[in-house]
Amino acid sequence: MTDSQNHQQGKKEIIITGFGGQGIVLAGIILGKAAAIGEHMESTLVQSYGPESRGGSCNAQVVISREMIHYPYVSHPDILVCMSQSGYDKLIDQIKEKGTLIIDQDLVRPGRGLTCDFFSIPATGMAEALGRVMIANIIMLGFLTAVTNVISMDAAQKSVLESVPKGTEKLNTTAFQKGHDYGLATLKGRQKKAAGQAGAMS
Amino acid sequence: MDDFKIILFLCNWGPHTAFQTLQDNGSEIPDQISMIRIPCTGRISKSLLFRAFEMGADGVVLLGCQPGTCRYGSGTATARENTEDTRDIIGMLGLGKERLGHATFLPDESDLLLQFLNDFCDQIRSLGPSPLLPIPMPESESVSRESVAEIVSYHDAFACQDCGKCSSACPLALIGKPFSPRELVNSIIAGNIDSPSVNKDIWSCLTCGLCYDRCPSAVNFPEFIRDIRHVVRKNGGNAREAHGGFFQSLMRAMTWPGLKTQRWDWLPKDVDLDAKSKILFFGGCAPYFDIFFRNHLNVETTNIIEDSLRLLNFFDIKPALFKDERCCGHDLLWSGDEENFLKLAKMNVDSIHNLGIEEVITACPECYRTLAHDYPKHGIPLNFKVTHIYELLEKEIGKGAIDFKKIDKKITFQDSCRLNWLEKPADLPRKLIRRLKPIRFREMQNNGSAAICCGNCAWTGCDAFSKALQVKRLRQAHDTESELLVTACPKCQIHLRCAMEDPFLGEELNMEMIDLTGIIAKTICWE
Ligand code: SF4
Ligand code: SF4
Ligand code: SF4
Repeated sequence: MTDSQNHQQGKKEIIITGFGGQGIVLAGIILGKAAAIGEHMESTLVQSYGPESRGGSCNAQVVISREMIHYPYVSHPDILVCMSQSGYDKLIDQIKEKGTLIIDQDLVRPGRGLTCDFFSIPATGMAEALGRVMIANIIMLGFLTAVTNVISMDAAQKSVLESVPKGTEKLNTTAFQKGHDYGLATLKGRQKKAAGQAGAMS
Repeated sequence: MDDFKIILFLCNWGPHTAFQTLQDNGSEIPDQISMIRIPCTGRISKSLLFRAFEMGADGVVLLGCQPGTCRYGSGTATARENTEDTRDIIGMLGLGKERLGHATFLPDESDLLLQFLNDFCDQIRSLGPSPLLPIPMPESESVSRESVAEIVSYHDAFACQDCGKCSSACPLALIGKPFSPRELVNSIIAGNIDSPSVNKDIWSCLTCGLCYDRCPSAVNFPEFIRDIRHVVRKNGGNAREAHGGFFQSLMRAMTWPGLKTQRWDWLPKDVDLDAKSKILFFGGCAPYFDIFFRNHLNVETTNIIEDSLRLLNFFDIKPALFKDERCCGHDLLWSGDEENFLKLAKMNVDSIHNLGIEEVITACPECYRTLAHDYPKHGIPLNFKVTHIYELLEKEIGKGAIDFKKIDKKITFQDSCRLNWLEKPADLPRKLIRRLKPIRFREMQNNGSAAICCGNCAWTGCDAFSKALQVKRLRQAHDTESELLVTACPKCQIHLRCAMEDPFLGEELNMEMIDLTGIIAKTICWE
């Protein structure tokens, strides 16, 4: 079980970082909405664009809590989602000690000696295979939903459908599902490896 | 119970003298024994041993000369191997190994021989009657013109434009066999079904489907030939079966309702199964093939079944197995025995329905095609879905978090005709191969829908041209400079291995082979 699952009731601070055009802020909105509407929790979103917003780094700071949120800015996230190297480099030192790091392995090369919980997914590659690089953010959300449990699958899926442009629902649902499957497969793989069953013949 | 039959194959030389002494002395040889005098036990093939059971024997015994006294040198050793193989096969089939015996006697051992015969009789008496009842073989009649005309019109063979594209694509024609699908279609249309060349050629076609792929009029030549074979065989035509018809006999034997097969006894205990699962794994006949060929080709196609089950377990799928699984009937259907194919099909489908199965998974391309495609086409509807294991693997691996260990070899791939033919799974093997991590994957000169067949289909019509075809195919494999030939069908392994046994070319042709499921099972791991 991941760290975040242990503290499901408590406050969760999340940063999603990447570059402009990746749909980072949209991912933040969907996540916040899912928590607020789907799970009846409180949530806030602060978006920050760098000075060089187009193609430059940007991030979405999301707070999700059962109680009233007094301060929407996140400096030390419980969950850090990195979809760009510069975002990773800038924020990796600020993640909480027992936090969860999630990266797009096609875009980010993590450093050595990470102590936090760590997950990776080739979201951009998978998006390309689906024919739309743009959809990597939704794949990432599916993955995050599966590996962290901050929000439920139902709430996340509804929120995706409400937030994406009309006519793209099917593609987005597929993307979300792919990310989610990947997340479940990752968890299953961890479990199997821990049980000493890394391969089919062992 | 005294009403039983034992067939005694008795070698002319050593033991016959002993037998004659018993006769001369008026000794009481049990009535149940019918003796057939033969020139050498080494010539009693597995198919003859099995045929005796197929024709209603309750016990069969092969008596030869003691090792070292065989007049022809190797007869006794061959007889021993043939008996051992056949014993294991009838054991797996659920007949009971003990029904088949082999022993050797010196000419002067008449007392020992009598003792042996009495003991063997007691043994069969205690086993009771064989669960097999004789199946009538078709009588020889000439094929009616109407039945041929019906097949011609059903497959719309009249649409043939005589373009010859089929003959220019047919691997048998290309290897130099005087064989032309175009001419064959036309001779049959012209009503020459009884001509010697038609009668021979219909059994030579590999039903590989290359011609169908090329035909501008979409004449489904392989299925056309299949149905022609059926009417010809129904009228007593010689099906030119390979291996003396052993496999056809074996598969017909599986239509006996009373059979309790033991086809899963070999399965390692650490494979996770669940008798209540709604997913069934259909294994196929590989375990029988491996026994049959163990002293000759040394093939290990049963691994495909085990590896598949391990792959299912890897993805947390614990399937049910099917105690009375019978042959899917593929080889009977394609060698003209539609009647017995239908019996097998009905029995399999009834049992699967009774188990309440929702999905059947199989790793054998022939089982897949037969269950998914040919059962419904022959009026046997399915209440379950049939999945080839490649579909399942591609789906599960596609979810992600899966990695593959490096393979320290260059690989190439032998297509399975039965998968290439059907639209859905055709591109799956390559998708899976591209996920693997060999040093290199290189296609053979003929690949995909142009691939050359392994040289035989449905154990029929195997001849020198089959061999030539295999030699050509294996040379193509070597031309890719690969070290490992990945296959997708147990039969490809068997028939290609057969060419590698050639005493002159064997060394040149030899190449390590592994089934795609095997190489996946050996290298797959969680990321
Ligand atoms: S099915 Fe294959 S072997 Fe038979 S005629 Fe066609 S190409 Fe030739
Ligand atoms: S390819 Fe088709 S149309 Fe052409 S000769 Fe062969 S069966 Fe006839
Ligand atoms: S190729 Fe060899 S194994 Fe295959 S049918 Fe012919 S003789 Fe038998």
